[in-house]
Amino acid sequence: MSISKTLNKSLWVYHVNSGSCNGCEIEIVATLTPRYDPERFGIKLVGTPRHADVILITGPVTKKMKEKVLRVYHQTPDPKLVMVIGACGISGGPFYESYTLAGPVDDVVPVDVYVPGCPPRPEAIIFGVVTALKKLEEIQSKK
Amino acid sequence: MATSETKTHSPIKTVIGPIHPALKEPIKFIFEIEGEKISKVDLAPGHNHRGLEWMATRRNPVQILYVAERICGICSIAHSLTFCRAIEQAAAIETPARADYVRTIFAELERIHSHLLWAGVAALELGFDTLFYKTWEVREDVMDLLEYLSGNRVNYGIMQIGGVRRDITPAQHPRIRKSLLNYTILFDELVNMFLEDSVLRMRCRDTGLLTREEALQLCTVGPTQRASGVAADVRQDNPYCAYGDLRVKAVTPDQLLDEVRGDVFDRIIVRLLEVKQSVDIIAQCLETLPDGPLLAIPKIMVLLNHLKKAEGEGIGRHEAPRGEVFHYLRLTADRESPAAWKVKASTYSNLLSWIKMLQGEQVADIPIIVASVDPCISCTDRVAVIKQGKTAVYTQEDLRRISREKTRRLRQG
Amino acid sequence: MIANKLSPEQIIEKFKAMLGKAVLAGEIIRRAEGRKQAANVQIWLTLDKAALKAAVRLLCSLHYPHLAVISGYDAGEAVVLVYHFYIYYGEWRGEYNVSLRISLAKTDLSVDTISDLIPGAVVSEREKQEFLGVRVKDIPDARRIFLPEDFPEGVFPWRQDETGIPESMVKKLYEAGKNEGEKRRAASVDSKSTRQE
Ligand code: SF4
Repeated sequence: MSISKTLNKSLWVYHVNSGSCNGCEIEIVATLTPRYDPERFGIKLVGTPRHADVILITGPVTKKMKEKVLRVYHQTPDPKLVMVIGACGISGGPFYESYTLAGPVDDVVPVDVYVPGCPPRPEAIIFGVVTALKKLEEIQSKK
Repeated sequence: MATSETKTHSPIKTVIGPIHPALKEPIKFIFEIEGEKISKVDLAPGHNHRGLEWMATRRNPVQILYVAERICGICSIAHSLTFCRAIEQAAAIETPARADYVRTIFAELERIHSHLLWAGVAALELGFDTLFYKTWEVREDVMDLLEYLSGNRVNYGIMQIGGVRRDITPAQHPRIRKSLLNYTILFDELVNMFLEDSVLRMRCRDTGLLTREEALQLCTVGPTQRASGVAADVRQDNPYCAYGDLRVKAVTPDQLLDEVRGDVFDRIIVRLLEVKQSVDIIAQCLETLPDGPLLAIPKIMVLLNHLKKAEGEGIGRHEAPRGEVFHYLRLTADRESPAAWKVKASTYSNLLSWIKMLQGEQVADIPIIVASVDPCISCTDRVAVIKQGKTAVYTQEDLRRISREKTRRLRQG
Repeated sequence: MIANKLSPEQIIEKFKAMLGKAVLAGEIIRRAEGRKQAANVQIWLTLDKAALKAAVRLLCSLHYPHLAVISGYDAGEAVVLVYHFYIYYGEWRGEYNVSLRISLAKTDLSVDTISDLIPGAVVSEREKQEFLGVRVKDIPDARRIFLPEDFPEGVFPWRQDETGIPESMVKKLYEAGKNEGEKRRAASVDSKSTRQE
């Protein structure tokens, strides 16, 4: 895999759980373990949105979390990318109708990359991040 | 750090969460802090409330099964198994013995996976990165095994009402045995690492105390309850699946050390011992796996028809890795979807115990105490310190840093 | 070993002796699984709601009960609550499930709190208040617990009558982006780069 010259820094990722079942969470964390080791590409989970380039959002966005998701989105500096991990953030998935949901994610914030699956495998998540990387480069090269 | 500059004696309000995915109720903690001490704790759960029980009144039972699995991705066997047992009682379905055994094997694999995951998180909160990576690496092996047996890494889709969907064939036994051997070796290593390390002991001994009486009164469940000396375990008290044939005994910390204190350290010990117990249970199940069918009613359409006509109510219980999971289900003949479904996840019962454990402790101990109940991973995602009207934010990293600094201080001192 | 352990039949007898007519029905169910078919005991008691507190007190005198949860459902004219307790836990196959069922007429949805006897019950009681619209008398903490702050008053998710969730509150997530394909195709005819902002 090539990380092109336009990528002038490592890709830092912040993760928000907007009401998911945890299935996607553990796969995201599993992605970060030595088995897959995405840190060799500089991909790293950070503890605050202010340091992040990519926001990973899981879950169908409950009403209580909607405002918090928005806040995280606005706290992340530009250029930023939003990735949805998992079926329930994309279209509700198993939680396709409910009275406490404000989702899916792209009803709340604009989304750049969708990673389907319930939950997606770690390989799929890495592939998603790499796709995001390309998109970020496109945005930067346009400037 | 925001707290260190305060000169006033008025308590400071601190909010943790709500990004905290424990089962269906992520939780926001509101702390009042005086200096380094926590003086008051309040909880605000509900950020993850997706209305599952309500959704169920609009679906048929087989569809609900998949929602039940997704109540929590880590306890996905626990909830689907419990749901199946509840509906089996309501509709008078008897599961075949082989299915009971296969269910047991999966449930115990899930326990190993969950406890390892937890041990890793605990190590991370305390600042033992080596241990964290070690446990998570082995956990990947459990995930592989689960994938090998069920076809999926998370949300296994193995349960079906009246039995299980996939068999464990004799050809698969060697692979399982090999993994079990690995876990036994790992168990010895982990026990050494956790018990011999004096700093870890200093951090965890007498931290986050919960007495036996409090554990009983607050209705706590699982390892949290057992670490306080209540020898209750659904697998022992009210056996189901294959547990009735195996004589499982509840694990309490006095089985390894000779006292019960009900602190974080005891909770670590209980979980470690349970990993070993699970390995034993799986080995026994493999040896005595009975022959026979896997499903009581193999045809889905027949099953659905049966469930449609069924009338009655049932309860399902299972000792999930984090504690007892309970489902209540009611079927009426006039409708296909259940008339009522109540899910009680383990953290639901352990909510109040946090308040007791955290009171009077230090800020640096929040991560490990919260983690010691084993909610889900990102429970301490964000902490906001509200100080004289202004809000400063503790991130998960800040908190973890404070916790780690404490470990380092102890190491050097 | 637990001293003075009663059989399930004796427990029902005891309830009948203590509470008299307030015990409306009592049933013992045994369920068995596995190869050896080791049976578990479930005791289901239907009570008059006035006798709830006395019944819980009686349970406490037998063995300090563990409250699993309070479940509940809408039964048309009434809201039914089922309190699931366990007693005699901590012993090989010794435990009994004791489920106490009470029915609250919709005209008077109040019930006594049991949190003075079992402090851990308060979570479940708060949940029943917001999901079924029952009123727990003397509850130490009556705040909402799981529902959002801006959830409308007088709507109770588990009710099947007019106070249940109205269709207008249901969000259908699968409809997200329904006509979007059309829109996008139309847009891409106009200009190729409009999506890139
Ligand atoms: S996509 Fe599936 S596994 Fe992921 S959070 Fe949603 S329900 Fe859980």
